[in-house]
Amino acid sequence: MAREGREAAYRELVRRYERPVFSLIYRMVRDRALAEDLAQDTFVKVMNALESYRPEFKFSSWIFKIANNVAIDQLRRRELDTLSLDGAPDARTQQEVEATALQAVDRAETPLAELEARELGSVIERAIAKLRPEYRACILLRHVEGRAYEEIAETLDLPLGTVKTYIHRARQELREYLEPMRD
Amino acid sequence: MTHNDLNEADRDTRVIRELSRLPALSPSPGFGDRVMARVRLPQPKAVVLFRRARAWALEPRRAFALAAGYVVTAITTLGFAVPWLLAHSAAFRVAGNWFSTQILGGLREWALTLAGWAFSSDFMTRVASIGSGRLIAGAAVVTTVYAGCGLMLHRLLRAPRGTRAARVTL
Repeated sequence: MAREGREAAYRELVRRYERPVFSLIYRMVRDRALAEDLAQDTFVKVMNALESYRPEFKFSSWIFKIANNVAIDQLRRRELDTLSLDGAPDARTQQEVEATALQAVDRAETPLAELEARELGSVIERAIAKLRPEYRACILLRHVEGRAYEEIAETLDLPLGTVKTYIHRARQELREYLEPMRD
Repeated sequence: MTHNDLNEADRDTRVIRELSRLPALSPSPGFGDRVMARVRLPQPKAVVLFRRARAWALEPRRAFALAAGYVVTAITTLGFAVPWLLAHSAAFRVAGNWFSTQILGGLREWALTLAGWAFSSDFMTRVASIGSGRLIAGAAVVTTVYAGCGLMLHRLLRAPRGTRAARVTL
């Protein structure tokens, strides 16, 4: 009976936080399938680490911290795994360049890519994608999730001043990206 | 404030407005089920130990070895116990008779004493003098008290609902 009660509590936790966590991760990594996997990883980590949760901190800050770390880890791995479309940097002959060059697949053909284009294709979403990950996380938590500066600082383990600076710079960059679209 | 500052403030406001209008995106249906399929719910230690012991014992070769060991032990024990019992059967017969006499005799004495007291004292007269209404009311009170105690015991022994996760301030 206690086990059933625990399962119901876990499901409620997922139900309450699945949309904000998924939204944050999706806008960070910009890949729907990957975002779902990472969101699942986030919730699994949260539930396995519930015993170590300290109640003096806000639960939402804690869960967003885990989600953000999962997304940032993925983006870092993606940077390391980035291959050149034009061939390996150390390729010398034309043969080597052609052998190491990647063929880019037109993702717009897949239903998933169409859905992603629809969800993240607006001007503002494309502008957010161009921000640095740290700026992106801060601006999303502030203006999309509506978190206070102090909570964002707690979530991202950053000083309050740094959070305000990141948000200010992110807004500046977004203004610059959006300005040509308005003319 | 200059014209440029106003423009910048205006553009800033527009950016913030567009950001706040961004929709919350949802994962695909069944997300919660997929998460729960990956979560291992904690079990009480006794259940964990019991399952480990059962898994250990049910491993085919081990299970066969355990069963064979049990059979051998049982046969060996009977091999010693049965001849010994047969050799001392007279002593066991006397002891058995003595125990049954004591126990059955004691029970018989107790039943006769209780019946004698019930019929020789004025207990039956008193019971007969109580009106049927009072008897029924008394029986109802006793039943209610008994049921109330049972319910209270059930609530005390029932496993608590919910967990730390439910008590977290969400």
